[in-house]
Amino acid sequence: MADITQVVEKRANPVVAFFSAIGDFFKRFGIAVAQGDASVKLSLLICGVGYWRRKQIIKGIIVTLLEIGVIAYTALIGVGYIAKLPTLGTVQQEIVYNPDTMKNEMNHYDNSLLILLFGSISLVMIIVALILWMANEITVYHIQQDVEAGRHINTFRDDLHDLLNRKFHITLLFFPILGIIVFNIFPLIVMIAVAFTNYDRKHMPPAFLFHWVGLKNFKALFSNSLTMSFGYSFGKILGWTLLWAVLATATTYFGGIILSLLINYKYTRFKKMWRTLFVITIAIPQFVTLLMMRNFYADTGIVNTFLQKIGFVGFLKSIGLISTNYIPFLTSPGWAKASIVMINIWVGVPYLMLITTGVLLNIPSDLKESAMIDGANKFQIFRNITMPYMLFITGPYLVTQFTGNINNFNVIYLLTNNFYTTTDQKLAASSGQEVDLLVTWLFRLTSDKYNYKMASVIGICVFVICAVFTLFAFNFLIKGDREETFR
Amino acid sequence: MKKKLAAMTLVAAMAVSMFAGCGSSSADSSSASKKTSGDSGSGETVDLKLWASENDQDLMKTLTDKFAKENSGTKFNITIGKLSEGDAKDTVLKDPTAAADVFSFASDQIYDLVDAGALQPVQDEDKKTIEAEDVESSVTAATVDDTLYAYPATADNGYFLYYDKNVIPEEDAKQWDTILADCQKAGKQVGMVFESGYYVAGFYYGAGFTTKRNDDGSTTLDWNGTSPSGIKGADVAQAMVDIAKNKAFMAVKDGDSANQIASGKLAAIVSGTWDSKAVQEQFGDGYAATVLPTYTVNGKQVDMASSAGYKFWGVNKNSKNVGWAMKLAMFLSNKDSQMERFKSGATGPANKEDMESPEVQKDIAISAILAQNSKNGVVQMVTQTFWDNTKTFGAKLAKGNPDNENLQKLLDDLVEACAQKSE
Repeated sequence: MADITQVVEKRANPVVAFFSAIGDFFKRFGIAVAQGDASVKLSLLICGVGYWRRKQIIKGIIVTLLEIGVIAYTALIGVGYIAKLPTLGTVQQEIVYNPDTMKNEMNHYDNSLLILLFGSISLVMIIVALILWMANEITVYHIQQDVEAGRHINTFRDDLHDLLNRKFHITLLFFPILGIIVFNIFPLIVMIAVAFTNYDRKHMPPAFLFHWVGLKNFKALFSNSLTMSFGYSFGKILGWTLLWAVLATATTYFGGIILSLLINYKYTRFKKMWRTLFVITIAIPQFVTLLMMRNFYADTGIVNTFLQKIGFVGFLKSIGLISTNYIPFLTSPGWAKASIVMINIWVGVPYLMLITTGVLLNIPSDLKESAMIDGANKFQIFRNITMPYMLFITGPYLVTQFTGNINNFNVIYLLTNNFYTTTDQKLAASSGQEVDLLVTWLFRLTSDKYNYKMASVIGICVFVICAVFTLFAFNFLIKGDREETFR
Repeated sequence: MKKKLAAMTLVAAMAVSMFAGCGSSSADSSSASKKTSGDSGSGETVDLKLWASENDQDLMKTLTDKFAKENSGTKFNITIGKLSEGDAKDTVLKDPTAAADVFSFASDQIYDLVDAGALQPVQDEDKKTIEAEDVESSVTAATVDDTLYAYPATADNGYFLYYDKNVIPEEDAKQWDTILADCQKAGKQVGMVFESGYYVAGFYYGAGFTTKRNDDGSTTLDWNGTSPSGIKGADVAQAMVDIAKNKAFMAVKDGDSANQIASGKLAAIVSGTWDSKAVQEQFGDGYAATVLPTYTVNGKQVDMASSAGYKFWGVNKNSKNVGWAMKLAMFLSNKDSQMERFKSGATGPANKEDMESPEVQKDIAISAILAQNSKNGVVQMVTQTFWDNTKTFGAKLAKGNPDNENLQKLLDDLVEACAQKSE
């Protein structure tokens, strides 16, 4: 019991720490404002003053220029977009042809997408600027304290020097973090916002406006009629997505281990040749393999023709497994799901083989030897030494593999797109298929149907599922305290 | 039309890149740009971007040269890019402001393009010319809410029957039953795509059923009831199941027809002009084409209809030089250009005079589609909801209704699913 409470406490700590850090930040800001001297107080207005007072001229200039830049952007561009954010624009595009100039004349219309994009970017920028502004105030106050205590004050050269030495991590991380903000965070914010609008093929900017609709799209995800079958499709597709992720991860993982064990077996000859042969399958682009497989296993493909010739199809038909004159490898729900998992083994196992070969060679041989001396047989060694060791080393890889498979677009899409047709009218009504993963469904909704709003809702769901699973897996399944078992 | 053209172009592109290897041309927009200096040189250069199908690239170069010569008072810089007509809307609607000024597209996409506000309406003067010169049905198909939005260029989309005279005598090619019987005797098969609303609709239109496109994004079908000619929708479905269950029938996948023709298993196939070369090669001297055969509903012969389709030139509303873009579209769709297009790629013109010309009449496939469309060609008035749902319905029929589901119930579900609004 004591352990559990300790664990819970430990888990709650980061959250508490986070909020107390925020509280602390505001407290320090308050102290800085209250106890700072005139120049520190004036820094609230012109950010550079505090530095200038302590002879940090260049730093002061940079900070002030930054302040001017932010204020200018907000005043000139940001405010206009933010003001339109609540409505996402009101003036629709109107185009009139002028025969004299032979040009179209346009009114000053609102583009909802741009408003959403720049509006949210501006909002985020203002919040970040506010935080920086407060941080700046605290820093300036610290410098004042340093001066009062007679400590050394950095010159601009010292600061630059610091960035290359003591604070080198900041220099290194600056660009990756900037990239994440620009290419991940901003689009993410906009995409999440789209889930609360009616952005679809009837409301496509620039010609038309779209608006906020609140939680309507999320409600649609729990609907279940033929004319509104997103709920039905979501349930079915989510079920298959999870099943697929488990199957695909497990089969390739164990397949890879078994394959590498076989290749590394004492009596196997030409080890390198076998390994090379399997690596060749990696060298062939995945999509080529998949498209070829798709054609092989088509209803009129080479595999079916062959099986028809030798009478296997007739046999299956006579025992009632199939009702068609071919085996619907990729065209009927059950068969297709099984075939996709099998084909995925072919595509995925070589990678696992490579990884596990490396790990297998690293298992301390004394462990195995002592087990053998104790009289353990091959299977016992595999179960009690090889597998635990493998799981320990490749645990994180398994988790990423699982989330990767939830989003495994290539295999499913290339094998089934324009090839598989659902026979479930409810799924068809919301553009879904039995073999769809959430991502492929999402892709079809956006690229074929322009249903951005529902795609965004589904995207949020995928994100939540992946995030919850990954956090859970990393925290509970892969404990970092098992290392000593192998020491 | 829909996916078919996309698939065809893809196949063609793959074939080209396979044979030509590295030598083949590359990216979409890499294209021939040229400057034609006018004699007077008044005003600045007019930049126009033109997107046409991969097969028409050379033809477009010729035609735009001609266009520039005819308007020699202005300098043109016309860039020609590749775009498959089957999925023009996907490319154009990705970013209409960056799309070409003039582009070619298949007629079923006009609603999506108009919905997104991407098409410039045709000016009244041009409208009169088009209405006078082109087939009426093509003008209807290019009209949305009483506004003409596109310039008809070809009228060869639709399907009809190709058959091998050596297997199926001409008088037998008029009925599904006799065709199937002949093929069974010869150990051959009859191919048709059932797994697509484009083809399924042929049976229903033929029996007098309709589709209706609504403004709220739904499609109204009356297929679960009884048609004006007294045929029950469920019976039509049953007739299709009967055909599908016949051993001599092959359910071809959309976009796979060329492969199946080449396999040599078929002695007849319901398809369009895009397969004419493949069929001609395979059937050789037995190559023949005619209007669609009749099918049997409760012992009665019922006509099939074709979902008629057209290729249009569209002008991008966001074009910087919309006036010249309209002139170019008008030029590309005029009588001479249509004839030129027929000669270069064997496409059926929409221009009435061109249609009558002996050269066009002589072409077996083109004359068959023109005959089919004038006999019984229906312009499909449907929305987005129609395609996925009828595809599923057709897939079930193609498999011969394996679970023996109640056909009336299937139709009821289909009608309800097509009636969903896209708000």
